[in-house]
Amino acid sequence: MENIYKPDPMEVVEVRQQTADVKLVRIKFRDPEKNANFKFNIGQFGLYSVFGVGESTFNICCSNSKDYIEFCFRKTGRVTERLWDVEPGDTIGFRGPFGNSYPMDAWEGKNLVFVAGGIAMPPIRCAIQYALENREKYGKITIVYGARTVGDLVCKDELDEWAQAPNVVVLKTVDVAPPEGTPWNGRVDFVPTVLKDAGITGENTVALVVGPPIMIKLSLPILVDAGLKDEDIFTSLENRMKCGLGKCGRCNCGSVYVCKEGPVFTQADIKKMPDDF
Amino acid sequence: MSQIITLDQLKKTLAEKQAQGVDIIAPVLRGELAFFQHVDDLEKAALTPRVRFQNSIKEFFFPRHETIFSFVRQGSDVQLTDAPEFERQQIVVGARPCDAASLPILDPLFAWDYQDRFFQQRRANTTVVSFACKETDGHCFCTAVGGAPDGTAGADAILFELGDGSFEVRCLTDKGKALFAGKTSESDKTGAACEPPKIDFEIKPIADWIRNNFSSPVWEEVSLRCVGCGACAFVCPTCHCFDIVDEGSYSKGKRVKNWDSCQTALFTLHASGHNPRGTQGKRQRQRMMHKFVIYPDKFDFNLCTGCGACSRSCGVMFGVRPCLEALAQAASSSEN
Ligand SMILES: Cc1cc2nc3c(=O)[nH]c(=O)nc-3n(C[C@H](O)[C@H](O)[C@H](O)COP(=O)(O)OP(=O)(O)OC[C@H]3O[C@@H](n4cnc5c(N)ncnc54)[C@H](O)[C@@H]3O)c2cc1C
Ligand code: FES
Repeated sequence: MENIYKPDPMEVVEVRQQTADVKLVRIKFRDPEKNANFKFNIGQFGLYSVFGVGESTFNICCSNSKDYIEFCFRKTGRVTERLWDVEPGDTIGFRGPFGNSYPMDAWEGKNLVFVAGGIAMPPIRCAIQYALENREKYGKITIVYGARTVGDLVCKDELDEWAQAPNVVVLKTVDVAPPEGTPWNGRVDFVPTVLKDAGITGENTVALVVGPPIMIKLSLPILVDAGLKDEDIFTSLENRMKCGLGKCGRCNCGSVYVCKEGPVFTQADIKKMPDDF
Repeated sequence: MSQIITLDQLKKTLAEKQAQGVDIIAPVLRGELAFFQHVDDLEKAALTPRVRFQNSIKEFFFPRHETIFSFVRQGSDVQLTDAPEFERQQIVVGARPCDAASLPILDPLFAWDYQDRFFQQRRANTTVVSFACKETDGHCFCTAVGGAPDGTAGADAILFELGDGSFEVRCLTDKGKALFAGKTSESDKTGAACEPPKIDFEIKPIADWIRNNFSSPVWEEVSLRCVGCGACAFVCPTCHCFDIVDEGSYSKGKRVKNWDSCQTALFTLHASGHNPRGTQGKRQRQRMMHKFVIYPDKFDFNLCTGCGACSRSCGVMFGVRPCLEALAQAASSSEN
């Protein structure tokens, strides 16, 4: 019988450092057949292992048109400290894809608003990549992304690339002004303030908001004021997980298992859940 | 007509199975304490019904520590070796009805979309023989959750001690019939379990209260005495939360599943330092919600058999029954 807890060995193909403590890693299945047949939906996550150290949960942060998987992680604990040292050619483990996904099909024909703070770029990047690869299917795309300082912005180069695409607005911001002389073409403000100035209209629009709780809390009323309904505002939760399979009993909010029924929820779903975040 | 078996014949039957390579798990006394464990010599098995055990039979289906796979690093590659499949056959004898009842409760969890072969293979390869209860104590509350001293859920056969060195045997499944075929004799004696425990609360109104009082201060109040040791989860036949950790070194080692408990602060601590369940009250709430709201929502079972093992082993006289009683009070005073 299959062993649902056993990961697949993956080859690290590329590592790109993003900030002082964030790296983006590209991996492929060591088994070419598995690599060719692997499928996932935008917004799903995986469990990544450093053998001998442990497993960690990260979103798959690239679109699903590639023959690889990318994830982006912040160095913060035991597993991620060790993951920091991986180099191209190394082997790590992967289990997944797990969880539900963004309804990219249902979003067709709509304007998309992406709001992200700090390390929360990865769960949004996959959706942005997908939307840009299928540009004709979506309306106006607005991306509001902020971090504490310029040095904390993840995927900086891509932000500028995305801004070149037709009918895409990228608004980047930092909480703290960069030192005199540092090149910076974004704003110095909190994400919700920039979102407010973005002039979002609720008509035919969906939003995906991921970031620290305070950013989410202050961004929601702005989207609601703009006319978005709770059903049109999506987020991706990050409850601590171990199995990813609905068995280990760790990730639930009330009767909702985030690993299986999430991590993607609308604001309407969240309002029905107990405050166990 | 009933079927009976003498204690000697029961031991002989088990010894024959053992000779065929079947593992026998039975109560063994260490001093006054009874443990379920593998027995080599059936003369050491304490085959009589009892209320108090130091462990539940859960660990023979869901071990406290279990290897998932092992690995060896070879240069930049890593070779993984799957843990062996569970191919042995085992017989658990002497289980309490409330212990056996945990098995059908856990079945749907380990088969929820993803099939956990570790539990499922053990479950398929195990015959469970329970003993109807002869006594209850103040911790027992099986009747509140649909059980009974002669409850048959999860058992392949249930034995009733007759007091004359023999048991009435009631086979409940094909596995039970196969075990006792040709081993019993006909008799007109029938066994009976003890009186069910007396309970003065009902689960339904308490579960409703739990569902509607997520933010009640009652949670912190009832949990003040809890030290968060997690013993309740380890002795519980239905608690199944687990951790996944690596052991060994960077070059060679294994990944294991270990029992865990929602009563410890680390259980849900995020890497950011944020903890959705940062207090004992929130953790107790999770435990009670999981047992009486979440699990019924998901799988139509209470995640509790009313065995009382949690409060029996609790260092501060807490546990599910004392908590239910405290919540019943809160529920009735909020009605008034
Ligand atoms: C669905 C989902 C998607 C996610 N996506 C991403 C993503 O795309 N990018 C990203 O960077 N993160 C993501 N996360 C968060 C990420 O999973 C965690 O940051 C990561 O697992 C931390 O792993 P770690 O092993 O390094 O930390 P751990 O070592 O597990 O440490 C986490 C913290 O827990 C505590 N702790 C753990 N074990 C112990 C112990 N034994 N003793 C004392 N304290 C302990 C410590 O305070 C420690 O700082 C996601 C999480 C989820 C659930
Ligand atoms: S992560 Fe194990 S149940 Fe969700």
